[in-house]
Amino acid sequence: MKKIFCPLFISLFLIAGYLSAWGAGRDQVITVTTALSEAEWKVMKEDIWPMFQRRYGIKVDAYTVEAADLGKVLKGMVKAGRVEIDVFCQDNMRLAELVDLGVVEDLSRYRGQIPENVLPALVEAGVFSNKLYFMPYRPNVQIVYYNPLKFEKYKLNPPKNWDELLEVAKRFHAQEGMGRILFKASGGAPTTAQLYEWIASAGGDPFSFNDKGCVATFEFLQELWSYCHPDSKKAKWDTTNEFIAKEVAYIGQNWPFGVPIIVKDWNKKWLKTYGGWEGPEKEVHIIGGEVVGIPKGSPNKRLALKYISFLHSKEVQEILMAKLAWPSIRDDASGKVEGWLVPHFESVTEALKHGIFRKNVSYWSEFDGLLNDAFTRIVIKGEKVKPVLDEYSRKMQETIGKYKKD
Amino acid sequence: MSFRKLKKSWLEILLITPLLIYILGFTLAPVIYAVYMSFQDKFTLHFPTLVNYKYIFTHFQFKEAFFNTCFVAGVGITLELTIGLLVALILYRNFKGRGIFRAIMLLPLGVPTVVAATNMRYIFDTSGYLNSFLLKLGVVEHAVDWAGGGIKTLMTIVVADMWKVTPLVMLILLAGLETIPEQLYEAARIDGAGAWKRFKHITLPLLKPAITMALVIRGIDIFRIFDLPLILVGRHTRVLSTYAYFEYYDYANPYTSSAGATILMVMILLTIIAYLKMTGTKEVQY
Repeated sequence: MKKIFCPLFISLFLIAGYLSAWGAGRDQVITVTTALSEAEWKVMKEDIWPMFQRRYGIKVDAYTVEAADLGKVLKGMVKAGRVEIDVFCQDNMRLAELVDLGVVEDLSRYRGQIPENVLPALVEAGVFSNKLYFMPYRPNVQIVYYNPLKFEKYKLNPPKNWDELLEVAKRFHAQEGMGRILFKASGGAPTTAQLYEWIASAGGDPFSFNDKGCVATFEFLQELWSYCHPDSKKAKWDTTNEFIAKEVAYIGQNWPFGVPIIVKDWNKKWLKTYGGWEGPEKEVHIIGGEVVGIPKGSPNKRLALKYISFLHSKEVQEILMAKLAWPSIRDDASGKVEGWLVPHFESVTEALKHGIFRKNVSYWSEFDGLLNDAFTRIVIKGEKVKPVLDEYSRKMQETIGKYKKD
Repeated sequence: MSFRKLKKSWLEILLITPLLIYILGFTLAPVIYAVYMSFQDKFTLHFPTLVNYKYIFTHFQFKEAFFNTCFVAGVGITLELTIGLLVALILYRNFKGRGIFRAIMLLPLGVPTVVAATNMRYIFDTSGYLNSFLLKLGVVEHAVDWAGGGIKTLMTIVVADMWKVTPLVMLILLAGLETIPEQLYEAARIDGAGAWKRFKHITLPLLKPAITMALVIRGIDIFRIFDLPLILVGRHTRVLSTYAYFEYYDYANPYTSSAGATILMVMILLTIIAYLKMTGTKEVQY
């Protein structure tokens, strides 16, 4: 018997010893979900996450979960008692549904870890019912991209208000027989974001659908549409870069992430940007972007908080600024921006001066659908503005009623 | 089935079980669940209700998607069959380089639909090759917006789809043509039948099973056309599958999306049943 047990015991001892040594040498791992473009993934994989691993010995295991799916994913995990995500990045317009689903950790206790240099307005965007559920990560604001060569050719100035925009649109159309203004009319979130901004700058409340500002916006868009480039119907955040770079369109709004893509990847060094134009009432630019949060029941909450702190650091924010042209959440992060990027960051700063947050509501998806439907019927199909907006206003109220009942 | 019989065929049962689980779990169960969800209220989760169907039947984009799907299916299959048959008849003949020509004709089949759609965008974009060609020829004054909506956009989808799948139709029909005995044509020639008569009275009737097969395969396939219109013409010209997709993906509504998908499934089933009933299963014998 002894003959059998002795080698068995030694073997087990050796295996256990090897495993513990192997385990001790391995880094801890946190799982992060995010939705990034190809260029953004590259910077995260090559710069940010290796730096975090080197510094804290924590490896980041990341995968994509789209903003629209995160609620369902977290709900399933929390319900099953198996939360496999430690940190999630989420579009700042999709926060209310996560709070309503009760799947996010209350981070109010950790508010103190947010550096003082983080812009206070961005911190407040993560507060729901006086509780801090989300922390800032990446603010975003749309700026105007334009092709100065074409503007110079036709002796035009970049438009500063709606009247000038219409005038520029007409001139391009008259000169080239085709619209050269781009409006993101592909539908879905890009169209909603742009419409929201335009309605707000006309003094309207987008959720009302038929107030004075909404009517003015849709009437203006109906007129502008015939002078827009036909590819506006395919214009989203990514395709806008392509259309500007390929000189299909000469002017359009987009998030700043497109600047390095157009300038570096497409080698279009002529690109110019500015903050944006005024509506009939005021100049307004919506603040988009993402926040970070921790799912309820995350197994690595301590490591997750460390990762969030790391993202807030000046060093990380400067890398993201320099490499991806992401606006920073900190007011002191600017040192590492390359010279050619400086004017574009000035455009971002200019736009942020007129920044507003969109109303964070549980019925955002329905609002999104209704606004897009109204846009298609009025702007693309040319139906009468007021009756259509009245119809969608009724539908919106019915939907809000259902959520209240629920 | 008695226990003894079960015991006797335990190996067969064991071998078929994984496949059965796969089909039940990954095909049948999601389909049944989607149908169930289509009758469920989003807010109250009450079942059964027709609220999702009421929504989509009054939604202008669903009506358009329904029409677009029917148009693309009807026109697409007609053209694919006509052109597929023409090409199959050409390739059936003996000529030099037939093998190479056949191989070339089959190339589009190997191209993934996403790649095919992206390539077609290079052709049909407002700044694409087709517009450049038309502008150079002076046929049009300004670039045509092929994705602008209406029949021209639907025809763009049909043409792009045809490029991709006509080889499949051609292949099925060619296989059908190969099964027709040469003696029948010889006999007809001796009887003085011309080319048209031989085609009408021999080729077409004997090709019926192959045509049926091509029609059913393409009928099922074309109704669920998805990636091609999505990439080629964007969101403003929807078919039923892209309608269901946008309801789910953009507007986070799996219930109306399921209703759209259920209707699409019913349309596919009806097409198969109607066609099988119309044509029957009887084969022509000579």
